[in-house]
Amino acid sequence: MDQDTSPDPIPDSATATTGHPSPEDAYRARWRWDSVSKGTHLLNCWYQRSCAYNVYVKGDTVAFEEPVAKYPQTNASVPDFNPRGCQKGACYAVNMNQPARVTHPLKRAGARGDGEWQQVSWDEALTDIADHMLDALVDAGPEALVFDGNATGLAAGTAVARFARLLGAITLDLNTEVGDEQQGAAVTFGTPVACRSADDYFYSDLILIWGGNPAYTQIPNFHFLTEARYHGARIINISPDFNASAVHADRWYSVRPGTDAALALAMAQVVISEDLYDADFIREQTDLPLLVRTDTRRFLRESDVKRGGKDDVLYMFDEGEKRVVKAPRQKLRLGKVLPALEGEYEVQTLDGTVQAVPVFHFLRESLNTDYTPEKASTVCGVDPTDIQSLAREVARARAVSGVAGASISKYYHGDLMMRAQILLFALCGQMGRKGAGFDTLPYLIVEGTMTAPSATGFGLLDTLRAVAPILPSYVALRLKGLTNEMALFRLSRDEASKGFVSAVLFWYYHGGLREISGRSKEWDPYLTRDVDDYLADAVKFGWQSPPPATPPRVLFSTGGNPLRRVRGGHRLLEHMLPKLDLLVSVDLRMSTTAMNADYVLPAASSYEKCDVNDWYTPLMPFAHITEAAVPPPGEAKPEWEIMVLLAEKLQERARERGVTQYSDANGKQHRINDFASRLTFGDKFSAGDHEKVAEAIVNSSGHLGKPRWEEFKKKGFQRFEGLGLHPGSAGNAGDLSPDETFTPQTWRTQKKMPWPTLTRRIQFYIDHPWYMELGEELPVHKDPPMSGGDFPLIMTGGHNRHSIHGFFRTNPLTLELERGEPIIFMSDADAKQRGLEDHELVRVHNEIGEFLIRAKVTPTVRPGQVIVYHAWEGYQFQGGDGHKNVIPTPMNPVELAGGYFHIQHTPAILQPGHNDRETRVEVTKAE
Amino acid sequence: MTERQLAFVFDLNKCLGCQTCTISCKTLWTDQPGMEYMWWNIVNTMPGRGTPRDRDQMGGGFDAEGRAQAGVLPSAKDFGEAWDFNYDEVFYEGKGQSAHLHPRSPSANGKDEAPEWGPNWDEDQGAGDYPNSYYFYLPTICMHCTDPACLAACPRQAISKREEDGIVLIDEDRCDGYRFCMEACPYKRIYFNPDRFISQKCVMCFARLEQGVAPACVRQCPGRVRHFGYLDDEESDIFKLVKTWKVAIPLHPEFGTQPNVYYVPPLAPPRFDENGEIDEENPRIPMDYLRSLFGPAVDQSLATLKLEMEKTRQGEKSELTDILIAYKWQNMFIPFVEDPGELSRPAPKS
Repeated sequence: MDQDTSPDPIPDSATATTGHPSPEDAYRARWRWDSVSKGTHLLNCWYQRSCAYNVYVKGDTVAFEEPVAKYPQTNASVPDFNPRGCQKGACYAVNMNQPARVTHPLKRAGARGDGEWQQVSWDEALTDIADHMLDALVDAGPEALVFDGNATGLAAGTAVARFARLLGAITLDLNTEVGDEQQGAAVTFGTPVACRSADDYFYSDLILIWGGNPAYTQIPNFHFLTEARYHGARIINISPDFNASAVHADRWYSVRPGTDAALALAMAQVVISEDLYDADFIREQTDLPLLVRTDTRRFLRESDVKRGGKDDVLYMFDEGEKRVVKAPRQKLRLGKVLPALEGEYEVQTLDGTVQAVPVFHFLRESLNTDYTPEKASTVCGVDPTDIQSLAREVARARAVSGVAGASISKYYHGDLMMRAQILLFALCGQMGRKGAGFDTLPYLIVEGTMTAPSATGFGLLDTLRAVAPILPSYVALRLKGLTNEMALFRLSRDEASKGFVSAVLFWYYHGGLREISGRSKEWDPYLTRDVDDYLADAVKFGWQSPPPATPPRVLFSTGGNPLRRVRGGHRLLEHMLPKLDLLVSVDLRMSTTAMNADYVLPAASSYEKCDVNDWYTPLMPFAHITEAAVPPPGEAKPEWEIMVLLAEKLQERARERGVTQYSDANGKQHRINDFASRLTFGDKFSAGDHEKVAEAIVNSSGHLGKPRWEEFKKKGFQRFEGLGLHPGSAGNAGDLSPDETFTPQTWRTQKKMPWPTLTRRIQFYIDHPWYMELGEELPVHKDPPMSGGDFPLIMTGGHNRHSIHGFFRTNPLTLELERGEPIIFMSDADAKQRGLEDHELVRVHNEIGEFLIRAKVTPTVRPGQVIVYHAWEGYQFQGGDGHKNVIPTPMNPVELAGGYFHIQHTPAILQPGHNDRETRVEVTKAE
Repeated sequence: MTERQLAFVFDLNKCLGCQTCTISCKTLWTDQPGMEYMWWNIVNTMPGRGTPRDRDQMGGGFDAEGRAQAGVLPSAKDFGEAWDFNYDEVFYEGKGQSAHLHPRSPSANGKDEAPEWGPNWDEDQGAGDYPNSYYFYLPTICMHCTDPACLAACPRQAISKREEDGIVLIDEDRCDGYRFCMEACPYKRIYFNPDRFISQKCVMCFARLEQGVAPACVRQCPGRVRHFGYLDDEESDIFKLVKTWKVAIPLHPEFGTQPNVYYVPPLAPPRFDENGEIDEENPRIPMDYLRSLFGPAVDQSLATLKLEMEKTRQGEKSELTDILIAYKWQNMFIPFVEDPGELSRPAPKS
């Protein structure tokens, strides 16, 4: 913190003469401060994460905040990143001091959820929590302890992750449960991660906003889009509603919800039938030239033609030499081979002579049969002529980029929609170039977080010690012919999955969601088998990992707010809550989860501790730091301190109770007597060392340059110099240079590095048995399921403008700029038909539940669609039942598939996901 | 005419309606007693009723002959009151699910009455018939008019216009709370402080300007919508956009006050014809509606804008779009480019 003691440069003349400040001096006095700190907001703002703020402090309080706005311009040809920020960031201090802030440990005094509390000391709270944890550890094992976390920040995140991991407890893997898995990208690219820097859009001449609403969700980045437009780019927006991003488009296409795959495939049909595709690109980068047997419709594999042949050696037909050749594996470069995209070829296999055709052949056939613009138009609602002109535009543009959010991922068939979108981009060669490419999951994580949850320390020796046990497996995988990237993916899948349990499967088995999510077959007309059949098989084959059978006894939530977050969350209240001995919520705020907790532990906010955001996105490739500008209110504490004190208490109580160890479900013994010491990296950090932990993780990360800690704190931000070694960032596959915008996937297109898929190419054809059974081996359109029953309206959602998840949902300032309470957007036509008025209280219902909400009536919403935006707390709805109560999130069996090289459950991806965008409802008057 | 005039240009083609300007003003200036319901800066969805509601029908300003026009005095309810929320009842009073968090109208005298209006009540509602619906975002502040109707209407001479920069200020010591200024202001950007019995409005962050720092709403705008500077500085964005290119035009010029906030009017994607095909001929936002807001100059402004944007699509350079892009953010508000974080501003004693 810079303590400023220099003299005031402004003479307070009026004060001097009259003794009463002039009105103008009163204003001058308002804009004063004692000191300025650097701050950032430790929140999951995702696409718009994160920003450097100056935090202006008067006395012990934050008076206001304002962006630092000193980011360097990447180079003179693109706009700079300044100022960044948004309305939420501009009132973080207000939010921090809002009435929902929790400042003392609270113990439940009435029934769960009743809102009766007793203020207790930290010691009393931690003792009771430690005793409950010990009971569960001894009686049922560590699997009975469940951590649901979203503690943001290097030190905060490490504290919680490390605590759970060292205890052997369950950590819920939330990514697919929140619906962010971008499954379509994961199965097509082999990794869901890829995103450009926001200034790279400036090189596009066509920008497709398709599957997101960046005017809501990318507020600090949005200027790059409007400025690219002034620079000559055309912006095309595709969405069901005329939303805040569509307003700024050069063209807006209105598409029926859940039919984007039909639109994309029709565009692909036009591109192929009019010979507009980039043949060089698809020959080199995609699986479209790979040969597929016509008898089995599976790829022609080396194992088909040779005894002992490999399953992942595939073939294409070389038009030059007129013969079938092996597809390149270590590099994408084709050399002299010119792979055929057409034709039928005879191949000798162990089964005799078979016919084989390139994937492209099947693709063309499927598109011509089912996705002519005329046919697709009846599905997606876009005019056939418009589909044609749009397709031609995408094919002929110099550089097309896609702007999306994680919305597509929240559709039941979102994987098909995304596979179809990627197909269009790939056919047109719009990928891996400046301003060109389909951005998927934006992710860039601080490298040091990789080992922080488990390492013994931050030295070189510690790293070697952590790496040593997996070295033999690495060598073996390389010998099997895997590229370095693939071998590391495979290893990180095994390593990082320790202790991680799919939250979707956890709630399914332990949270009562099976009764609604398991009803897929009722609502999805394409299914012939129950999802439970698929699930049983997936578990049997090792494709998915179910949660341990041990029922949960302690749920420890750190900011994740599962009782607000989880779709169908009312089931958790009814079915899981009664099973718990203890629910603890560590939070800044009285959330829905805190309201139902047994203990609420108050955490320090972003301006009350020093920490560094843990993960970022390439959109804004800068790391950000925050300082302790003011002390936490009351007895609130940083997460590192809370977890260390709890570890010490756990150890102390164990000693007093004579417990030295406990055994897990596999019979492995765990020590408890040195738990706190292990948590603190061998007593290297004390409970008060939140900042030092963050510093150690930054210093152990090789891709943040060599910022001296004090310099980082002074500046507030630091540009990433590379993707780092963390496998989570690897999918971006590009170089980060200080004076260049970041373009993902250039390692593929320029360095010819293979894609981490079975085919080592962008893979559109998936010959997995379940994909084939479900008719999804190629990207296709499937009508959305009627989730929740046959009701006339489709309820969609999306991240909203005025909150970051639930965090600002109770902020009086941002609520004042909405309507202060939950609203459902509906079209004026639908409202009129039902006799509903604007702001009228309405009842929304389907087969699985109902809720009350006020209607916001507008002609900007598509008739047949209603929208409830993200993250209202349950207690903001009359009766306490929120809109999650009508969302059954049916499980899609295709997401249970595994055992197929790149399609195998992995931390954060390739597990079943939750979805909500096809929920069917009816809306009626409340009375 | 004052010696110099500071002015704003708000580029509506960059405004995303995020209200960061609104909040940055709120936390800096209007978080004092009696100011709870004030939003000196607000962004409205248009078509819409505005803040205060129906402000475009409330009158004020001058007619063509310069005669003051009668105006309506907007009430706190018209502006949208500062709601109360029942946090304690929901969290701490043992009521469980029988209590839910909701806003309460403060003028209901303790009765639990739901508010029926707020400062951003009709956000994203717009007009038209789907799929030819339309709207855009319109930020407004005090226009610091060259001929302020508020100044003319004040019987106390409490309102002045500064010679050196044209900022219009209310002398809060002289103001007696008659509120004639609120009736006279055609943009309805003056609020009444019931605790202090005075009128209050945007002060153009003069305390920041004195230190060479741009206004909070300008400097915090993440959409980079706001250009700011002296209207007579031929090097400034303001001069070029208003005088040279004439793409930035005033809101409601017919009010006759010569406002000093200028707008780059909104483009919109084309509408669909009756066959559902893109119709490039007829604008999505009816021109008559835009003319009702910006006067007849809106036609020429949009034509210039489209012409220059077409140039950049052909790969040509355009001075106009380069200004609107603002490659270097700080150039948007020359000469007010000081970094407030570097200033020495110790709190005054006592």
